[in-house]
Amino acid sequence: MAVQPLPRTSVPDRSRASSRFGALLEREWFLAYLFLLPGGLILLLFMAYPFGLGIWLSMTDKLVGFSDYSFIRLENYRWIYGDSIFRQTVVNTFIYGFVTVPFKLFLGLGLALLLNETFRFSRLLRAGLLLPWIVPTALSSLAWLMLFDAVFSPFSLLGRQWGLLDSNINFLGDAFSARASLCLANIWRGIPFFAVSILAGLQAVPSELHEAAALDGASPWQRFQSVTLPVIRNILLITTLFSIIWTFADFQLVYVLTKGGPVNLTHVFGTYSYQKMGAGYIGEAATVSLYMFPILAVLAAILLRYVRRED
Amino acid sequence: MVDERMTNPVQDLIAEATRLRYSRRTVIRRAAALGLSAPALGLVLSGTGRQPVAAKAPSVQLGGELNILAGSYFVPEAQTFFDQQTKEWGDQNNVTVSTDYVNWPDIQPKVASAVESGAGPDIVELRDTWTYLYYEQMVDLNDLAASVGGAGGNFYGWAENTVAVDGQYYSIPVGTSSAAFAYRQSYFEQAGATEFPKTWEELFAVGKELKAMGKPIGQALGHSTGDPPNFAYSYMWAHGAMEVEEDGKTIAINKPEFVSALETLITGWKDAFDETGLSWDDSANNRAFLSDQISATINGSSIYIAAQNAAAGAETDTDYEVVVDPADINHAGFPEGPAGRFNVLGSWSYGIMKYSENQEAARAFLEWWLAPEQFEPWLEAQKGYIIPALPAYAENPIFTTDPKLAPYLDVVNYGRNKGYAGPANQKAARASSEYIITDLIAKAIQNNDAQGAVDEAVRLLERVYGR
Repeated sequence: MAVQPLPRTSVPDRSRASSRFGALLEREWFLAYLFLLPGGLILLLFMAYPFGLGIWLSMTDKLVGFSDYSFIRLENYRWIYGDSIFRQTVVNTFIYGFVTVPFKLFLGLGLALLLNETFRFSRLLRAGLLLPWIVPTALSSLAWLMLFDAVFSPFSLLGRQWGLLDSNINFLGDAFSARASLCLANIWRGIPFFAVSILAGLQAVPSELHEAAALDGASPWQRFQSVTLPVIRNILLITTLFSIIWTFADFQLVYVLTKGGPVNLTHVFGTYSYQKMGAGYIGEAATVSLYMFPILAVLAAILLRYVRRED
Repeated sequence: MVDERMTNPVQDLIAEATRLRYSRRTVIRRAAALGLSAPALGLVLSGTGRQPVAAKAPSVQLGGELNILAGSYFVPEAQTFFDQQTKEWGDQNNVTVSTDYVNWPDIQPKVASAVESGAGPDIVELRDTWTYLYYEQMVDLNDLAASVGGAGGNFYGWAENTVAVDGQYYSIPVGTSSAAFAYRQSYFEQAGATEFPKTWEELFAVGKELKAMGKPIGQALGHSTGDPPNFAYSYMWAHGAMEVEEDGKTIAINKPEFVSALETLITGWKDAFDETGLSWDDSANNRAFLSDQISATINGSSIYIAAQNAAAGAETDTDYEVVVDPADINHAGFPEGPAGRFNVLGSWSYGIMKYSENQEAARAFLEWWLAPEQFEPWLEAQKGYIIPALPAYAENPIFTTDPKLAPYLDVVNYGRNKGYAGPANQKAARASSEYIITDLIAKAIQNNDAQGAVDEAVRLLERVYGR
């Protein structure tokens, strides 16, 4: 059977095109961009677009439900800056972030050191430890809400039954105790993240180093300081930064427990922005959440620096 | 000689209906009032040229789905009843109806995000004055309002003012839960009060005794749409302060008599109230009352109804034991202040969103549900918890039989709209959506600073009313 030669005209074109594409694929920069493309598109669509829209809305006096609105430049930023509730929100966010993180760090570290030892059921315990982390926050917050309930808190009921209290504990109806309650629930939820991350780091510490140090007569504290700590130092730093960022951007826990109350004294950026939106001030709502941007940007920049350095 | 047939109620009603040009619905209502049987009603309807009840079939074929957003009911049987109604109508019309019931503080954020994103429930339940915030995105319902209102006489003025946007209906008023003090007669007697105190100051004085007995007064002051504003606005008005003057612009809240009343309240709160109240929403005080932790609270009649249900062994939706005997519960109108006695009064309403893809079904459902044949049984299922927006329903025995419920209907005599002395409008709606007045009261208590709380409220109100 005779083989028909392929038409001469089409072949060189196609092969030239495919070889050109092939050649492009050989180039590292092209391949890199090609691989970045899907992720980039997703980011553009779901992050950059809402972000851009947010910036635009924050410079308008748009109200929910009204198509008529005007561009007012930075007026919302000026008003929100002078807003006492917003100032309180900033203070709350810092309290919330910087009070809870040290607790989470130290308790998480302690737990990790404990779990790094092998004992009966240690694997089961390690798995169980993750529970507060994997239960959806909205659900675990509801459990905390019951514990802090103004009328039926088990703590109040027990206290009254044992004659220690003559009225219910005011968990969420007073600014100080409401903030403390929020911090407590946040710490509970955040410990596992620290513990598990640190545990992973601890398991990378070569046991030979410990043995060698022990032979040299180092006390457990000295071994922790000189052997363990240098290895997990970066993990501590990165988990701390991550936790600060998440705590700053929290919404669910605060919304479920206090909705920002009493009297707007426990808002964080997310809940105050949501409240503004609910009341119809969509421009101001965008402004409130955008005020969070520089803070988070600085934290993220520090985080990235350390992640890179670790590489 | 008098024609004997004319004494027949059927003939009477035909004559009356013809003379007064009754609508079909009014004929049905009157027939029900006269106790006519269904066949007799059929005679009247055909005698007046109206369509008989059963003969009406939907003129258009409906289908698809319909989603309703409403606040969760405080009378659980009524919620079950509404679900039955939507199912009945849905089955008849081949429409799958679902209702999402959300906690009161969550209704408005949900409506706002639906309005802004153009997706969500087809029918929404709105609280008083909210229509002013969302009407641009809502379907014009003037025709339906006319036919619903026409059947039982016009809506009450308070209902029209707080629902219609400059006289235009985008949602139909249904009435509201009203507020009075629910209180424990035995505890008040023990505290030396044979009747409920007439003034706020007297109430605080009795409250001091009650708190010493371990049964303080309870007041919700969190961000929730019912009890907190009911107290906050009423206390403000009773002491001569208002959001704005009649011009709807001049802020009128910074009144010395109000500031001093706030100082009285700050002391009263410590002496007479359950101090956890700053975190309470609309349901917390019900729980506190029904579990015998407080002796009085501002509420709808739902506490009394729940206690009655529990006493009768009926199913309640409470996840705790109701330990209060309904016989010991009584109700009283709000106490008065130097400026008088006042209540917040405005109607809830149901409207259809413009983005709804099933507007036809939504309209058909509302038309069906708001007809007296459906709506009156729904009101009855509410057992007096909802006071009606139409005067005709106020004659229903549920509002008149039990004298203990009288204060709830009496509210219409002391009612003011949010935004008073200005009109109920977009600005009033905005101020209440931001909980400015509720927060003013709560803030004074929390910070122990009456003037500071008033100054902050002035700043926020100026922003709202000056916009």
